[in-house]
Amino acid sequence: MASQNARALSVKTPRGRLRQDRYAPYFFISPFFILFTIFFLLPSLFAIGISFYKWKALGVPEFFGTRNFERLLKGDPIFWQAVKNTLFYAGSSLFIVAPLALLEALALNSKRLKFRTFWRAIYFAPIVTSTAAIAIVFRMLYNREFGFLNEFIMALGGMPVDWLGNRGIVKFSVMGVVLWRWTGLLAIYFLAGLQSIPDELYEAAAIDGATQRQRFFHITLPSLRPVMLFVAVIVSIGSIQIFDDPQILTQGGPANASLSVVQYLYTRGISDLLYGYASAVGVFLFVVIFILSMVQLRLFRGGDR
Amino acid sequence: MVEPKSQKLLGTLILNLAVALGGIIMAWPILWMISASFKRLNEIYTFPPTIIPRNFTLGNYQRLFTDWPFGRWYINSLAVAVLVTLAVLFFTSLAGFGFAKYRFRGRQPLFMVMLSSTMIPFELILIPLFILMSRLGWTNSYQSLIIPFMAPALGIFLMRQYISTLPSELMEAARIDGATEFSIYWRVMLPLMRPVLAAQAILTFLGSWNSYLWPLTVMRNRDSMTLPVGMVSMMGSITAGSEPPVGASMAAATLITIPVIIVFLFVQRYYISGLTAAGVKE
Repeated sequence: MASQNARALSVKTPRGRLRQDRYAPYFFISPFFILFTIFFLLPSLFAIGISFYKWKALGVPEFFGTRNFERLLKGDPIFWQAVKNTLFYAGSSLFIVAPLALLEALALNSKRLKFRTFWRAIYFAPIVTSTAAIAIVFRMLYNREFGFLNEFIMALGGMPVDWLGNRGIVKFSVMGVVLWRWTGLLAIYFLAGLQSIPDELYEAAAIDGATQRQRFFHITLPSLRPVMLFVAVIVSIGSIQIFDDPQILTQGGPANASLSVVQYLYTRGISDLLYGYASAVGVFLFVVIFILSMVQLRLFRGGDR
Repeated sequence: MVEPKSQKLLGTLILNLAVALGGIIMAWPILWMISASFKRLNEIYTFPPTIIPRNFTLGNYQRLFTDWPFGRWYINSLAVAVLVTLAVLFFTSLAGFGFAKYRFRGRQPLFMVMLSSTMIPFELILIPLFILMSRLGWTNSYQSLIIPFMAPALGIFLMRQYISTLPSELMEAARIDGATEFSIYWRVMLPLMRPVLAAQAILTFLGSWNSYLWPLTVMRNRDSMTLPVGMVSMMGSITAGSEPPVGASMAAATLITIPVIIVFLFVQRYYISGLTAAGVKE
């Protein structure tokens, strides 16, 4: 820009032009900062503020100290149930969905796969579908009496399963939708990672007589490390915020067995209108996600050097 | 060491079979949905299911428009998604241009503030934003779904990354010709940004079209609902004894997902490049 200014001066632009030149970038970036301040920054501060108040709907906020947090962390079994459920979603996303996505990417990247473009389209199409629509489709497939899944199991001679009504099973049913809806997205990241590995590495290894297995463990996996970290972070941040799938499949039931933390926040804040208490849940989420984001920054900074 | 030929063949076979099996499982809910949307209730629940309906009916689709304001929901979703996409394209490309092509005081810290804003989870501000919308009288209206989301930080980041790779010489030339800074953006830069604008447009449109939590929070009137909210509310309207709207909700699900999937098949390339570019931060 120094050189740009010098050139601008050398052609003797009028004074007005120079001033505009100096302020232009501020105008260009200002919409973000205005919108961000009004709709994100101030509301965030407001949320943190009211988490220290007892405030129900139209009533008057009453200062409550840290009692919202005390009640949340010590005296609210439903909240802890929601935390446990959410950890289940995050854990199974991390250790089942993400590895499956890696397998999927390896398969869809293989030169030995016939009709690659076709299969990629099939596997990636779920990413763009509406979770609401898909959750309703799955609700039909999971139906205890007439659902396709139970009919299928019974046709094979098995016993029907209460997919959405059994406390022990319902979380797996939610994960079924998550698996269907999200594996393709993660596979796209892995696929991009796989395609960025230079062919020469494999060629050199092949000349050195490395077997396919050796090439996989010594070239493919180590090269994918940054992508794996990235996927791990987006999966954990994303699944902590899960809402649509359990909300539409089961409304969190039966008996809160599939309730997620965000569902709990929504129920407390928007249905019960407990603004202060719900904001305490929000602050809790924020802290967890903030820590995860910090870990992300650390990992990526560290990974690059 | 080269693998024995038979072993390689077996591997290829297993790979192809596994992908095909998985592919059938992935495609099944969509196929089932489309097929069910053209069936009557009793045929929807027959087993083994018929892929091509035996008694083909358009009744489910008709019911959508007579029993629910489905046309209205479609217009709402489409209008919001299009408007928010246009606004996002404009504001993110403009800000991305500002960050990429100018050196100005406070640039680095402002950029860091922008990036770190992505750490605020939307759920933290759900309640205050809901209160704000009520106070502004914006609930049940489009602006609550559009205005707060017109300049997303990740979008600006994506734009900045792309614009940094564009040559600055063209800007210089335009400046010498007396172009204003804004017309440099509008006439010189925007035309060069087509691929990233396409990627951004697809990501934004999909995000808006499919979003559920926020529209569920602010769009409470039946007529102001967006498609996902409306179609979920259809399922909630089952009263005891009445026939659950299974076929109709499958018709709704088909109308929400299929157009998007078809468009996706054509623009997949831009979508994927947008995802991976936005994903890998520095």
